[in-house]
Amino acid sequence: MNAVNLTAEHIFATGLRDQWHPVVPSSFVAPGAMRKVTVLGEQWLLFRRSDGTLSMLADRCPHRGAPLSLGKHLGDRVACWYHGVEVESDGTVASVPGLPGCNLEGKKLVRSLPVREVAGAVLAYFGTEQQPQPSELTLPDPLVDPDVDAFLCYAEWDVPWRYAVENLLDPMHGAFLHHDSHTMFDGDTTAKFRIRETDRGYFFEKTDQRGVNFDWVELCRTGVDWVDLSIPYPPSAGPGGAFGIVGMVRPVDEERCAVFFWRYRKVQGWQRDTWRFLYKTLIEERHWDVLEQDRVMLEAMPSDADQQENLYQHDLGVVRLRRMYKSAAEEQAGA
Amino acid sequence: MSDNPSKNTAQDWPYLEIHQSRTHEPTPYEYKLAATLEDVFTKDGHALEDVVRGLNARKVHAPDGAAWTEESFAAEMHRLGA
Ligand code: FES
Ligand SMILES: [Fe+2]
Repeated sequence: MNAVNLTAEHIFATGLRDQWHPVVPSSFVAPGAMRKVTVLGEQWLLFRRSDGTLSMLADRCPHRGAPLSLGKHLGDRVACWYHGVEVESDGTVASVPGLPGCNLEGKKLVRSLPVREVAGAVLAYFGTEQQPQPSELTLPDPLVDPDVDAFLCYAEWDVPWRYAVENLLDPMHGAFLHHDSHTMFDGDTTAKFRIRETDRGYFFEKTDQRGVNFDWVELCRTGVDWVDLSIPYPPSAGPGGAFGIVGMVRPVDEERCAVFFWRYRKVQGWQRDTWRFLYKTLIEERHWDVLEQDRVMLEAMPSDADQQENLYQHDLGVVRLRRMYKSAAEEQAGA
Repeated sequence: MSDNPSKNTAQDWPYLEIHQSRTHEPTPYEYKLAATLEDVFTKDGHALEDVVRGLNARKVHAPDGAAWTEESFAAEMHRLGA
């Protein structure tokens, strides 16, 4: 399937093309294993050789279309379960056991995507036929800063991807939905926001409060879409100040998404070790409870929620986001 | 093929795991140390000497029973948090 055949509605519903998306945590595909995954409404197969090399193939046998994910991992290739056709990790047909010398052999007939592994997650480039070469990817700065330490939290939600991103561009929900959480108990429940454009996206931020609650969020489009935000820790979490979140959302299909949250903190030495110890022992579960509040709310939203709204000033960040994604989807469909 | 290899790719939707950073369920000692640390950070401060003093004052020691020093505390955090 390529963008020529895709409508703007389909792209908007299943995720933008011609950019990188997070796929799964790296640990989900052990050396010598493979894993089926649905991304942007399409079926894919992650395939890792025993030396660790990862590839991502369309989950579709070039012979008759059976899912390769039902096949057998042969070390450097996958054998389709149906008639045994063997496909190499770059998508080339290595052999057709039932008809040796068949002209399928040696042809690259399975689509494969460029992949990279970053901060414990697999990223893949979802190009179109017009743009199969990956666009430049600038990684989120907190994930490449050696002074910053991050834990990835991955979760799968029955929520359209756009609602999950919109939730992140809506800081005001923190003061209500997460009022009883360990970090967002403080701060005003009234606020004025503004949008501040940057060369990689925009900030949506409170004009009158910073460093108290979920007071700002930056949307960044750097080849992959991500948000950055910061939330103060209570003194019980020890030195190092606020924790940050790098958030990404993977569209699964029109109804579902997977979310990636790297909780990060600028800490080194014993402070880093102590934060990590507390995180594993006590803090991770509290963060999980906060995330569950988001999931429960978003999964309960009607699927036409965005058709009958009455927006106010706090929703400017969401409005800006939708306009941006809508016009990008139209551009990709019309290209 | 008799053994269905699709076990390899088993997909359980949704993946909702509370603990993704742990290598083991914390021991009672680790839980107690973590909770005490939170209390120390809240009431005594964030400097290494505050932490060591606060833990010793609360008589929460390393498993060998020795009082904490800055070195032994940093080493234990490195073991538990690395
Ligand atoms: S469909 Fe895969 S080998 Fe025939
Ligand atoms: Fe939230």
